[in-house]
Amino acid sequence: MTTTRLKLNLGPQHPSTHGVLRLLLELEGEKILSCEPDIGYLHRGMEKMAEKLSYIQYLPLVDRIDYLAGFFYSELLCRIVESACGIEIPDKVKVIRVLMLELNRIASHLLWVGAFLMDLGATSPYFYVFREREMILRYFEKITGQRMMYNYFIFGGVRKDIEFLEDVEEIISVLPSKIDDYEKIITDNPIFIRRTENKGILSPDTAVNFAITGVNLRASGVDYDCRHTDELYRGFDFKSIILDGKDAWSRYKARILEMRESINIIKQALDYLKKSNPLEQRLIPPINLKLPEGDYYAEIEAPRGLASCYVRSDGEDKPYRLKWRTGSYYSVNLLRRILKGEYLNDAIAIAGSLDIILPEVDK
Amino acid sequence: MCIKVFNSVKALWEGMWTVFKHLFKRAVTLEYPEKRRKLNDAFRGKPLVEGCIGCGICKRVCPAGAIEYEKNEDGKVVFYKFDLKKCIFCGNCAFYCPKGAIKMTDEYELAVQDKDGLNLVYKGGAEND
Repeated sequence: MTTTRLKLNLGPQHPSTHGVLRLLLELEGEKILSCEPDIGYLHRGMEKMAEKLSYIQYLPLVDRIDYLAGFFYSELLCRIVESACGIEIPDKVKVIRVLMLELNRIASHLLWVGAFLMDLGATSPYFYVFREREMILRYFEKITGQRMMYNYFIFGGVRKDIEFLEDVEEIISVLPSKIDDYEKIITDNPIFIRRTENKGILSPDTAVNFAITGVNLRASGVDYDCRHTDELYRGFDFKSIILDGKDAWSRYKARILEMRESINIIKQALDYLKKSNPLEQRLIPPINLKLPEGDYYAEIEAPRGLASCYVRSDGEDKPYRLKWRTGSYYSVNLLRRILKGEYLNDAIAIAGSLDIILPEVDK
Repeated sequence: MCIKVFNSVKALWEGMWTVFKHLFKRAVTLEYPEKRRKLNDAFRGKPLVEGCIGCGICKRVCPAGAIEYEKNEDGKVVFYKFDLKKCIFCGNCAFYCPKGAIKMTDEYELAVQDKDGLNLVYKGGAEND
């Protein structure tokens, strides 16, 4: 009997590739021999655009780098401009930003839970997570004006003072019981366990070598959480979620636990904001804003791993070069390694468990 | 083995029961074209101009180049145009307008038959016409 190797295109338009990702798989039977991710279908030239626009013109666009967690990228750009202008943002602005970032992290992880379960064939959780995510997005809309493209953080502060804190209280009182519900449906489900346990093993060495950060790295047992060294999160008490499972199931569990930890951070931020005075901030005037000549760097723990921004300025009102580092880009690269030797029907589960968001990959 | 089977059945039953309970909950969605949800004041929809003095800040902060305006020799704004085909509704213009002349309304159903309908022209700039 002779066997032939089969080349299979998974994507670019596949319901479970989360955007437009094309995986070129080489199969022997159902076993994957090699995987070649093909990216760039969603390329919008985010970095090149920065060279043509002034900083304030570029700020609304960075929300679109990762449409599920837009706050993180505006925070990075704001941080770069603030550090270049030597402006220290007031404590209240910091806490408002932490509140928004953590709510955004929960919203992003919630959508991941739904999408991941959808990949595995379970449809009900998808609708439940959208229901809870909607509460968060409605709150964002009340504060910022839009559900996903917020444009709320600006250089030196935020656009307006925080309001409707009772909505946040409602969100954090409802969410833990809802997360319990998901866990009841998903965590111990034998079908889910069979499809995720010991699938897509990511050893700590491989993870570090492939520059994986964020939840994927922490689910492999490496303690690396950028938030602990972050100036913004100073004064907040939280712990990083470290799991030793290394498989797709641990990555799921780590995200569930991380949502619960984010709720803790939000509670602390809420306590501060309730007692705080009205917002006083000194905004950086955006017209003719020129960064002094030099290199600037900022990083933050985004839902999909370490996100960072590097700007080289030559003293003009536009950056000479701007570079984004996004977590998903490295996760896509990792597929080459961890899909090798797995079966085709697990490929979607493994790719889904890495939480790849394609606009973030292609930028 | 027995315990494993028992645990699996228990976990499946718990999951099914949680899903089943949702049958008796109120619907959270709206039948969109018939029912609409109430939007809040901060919503960034179609922009509206009233009382423009022609300082040009909106044009300089707009990322999409959606704004055009003209002044006559007296310095009065005679023509102000929003190109909604380009506008990304970021709200930069409204935030930085020194006179508060630009407002983002809560109008969001902006589909038109004729694409010229997407050019919002405010003659005179001062009144909305």
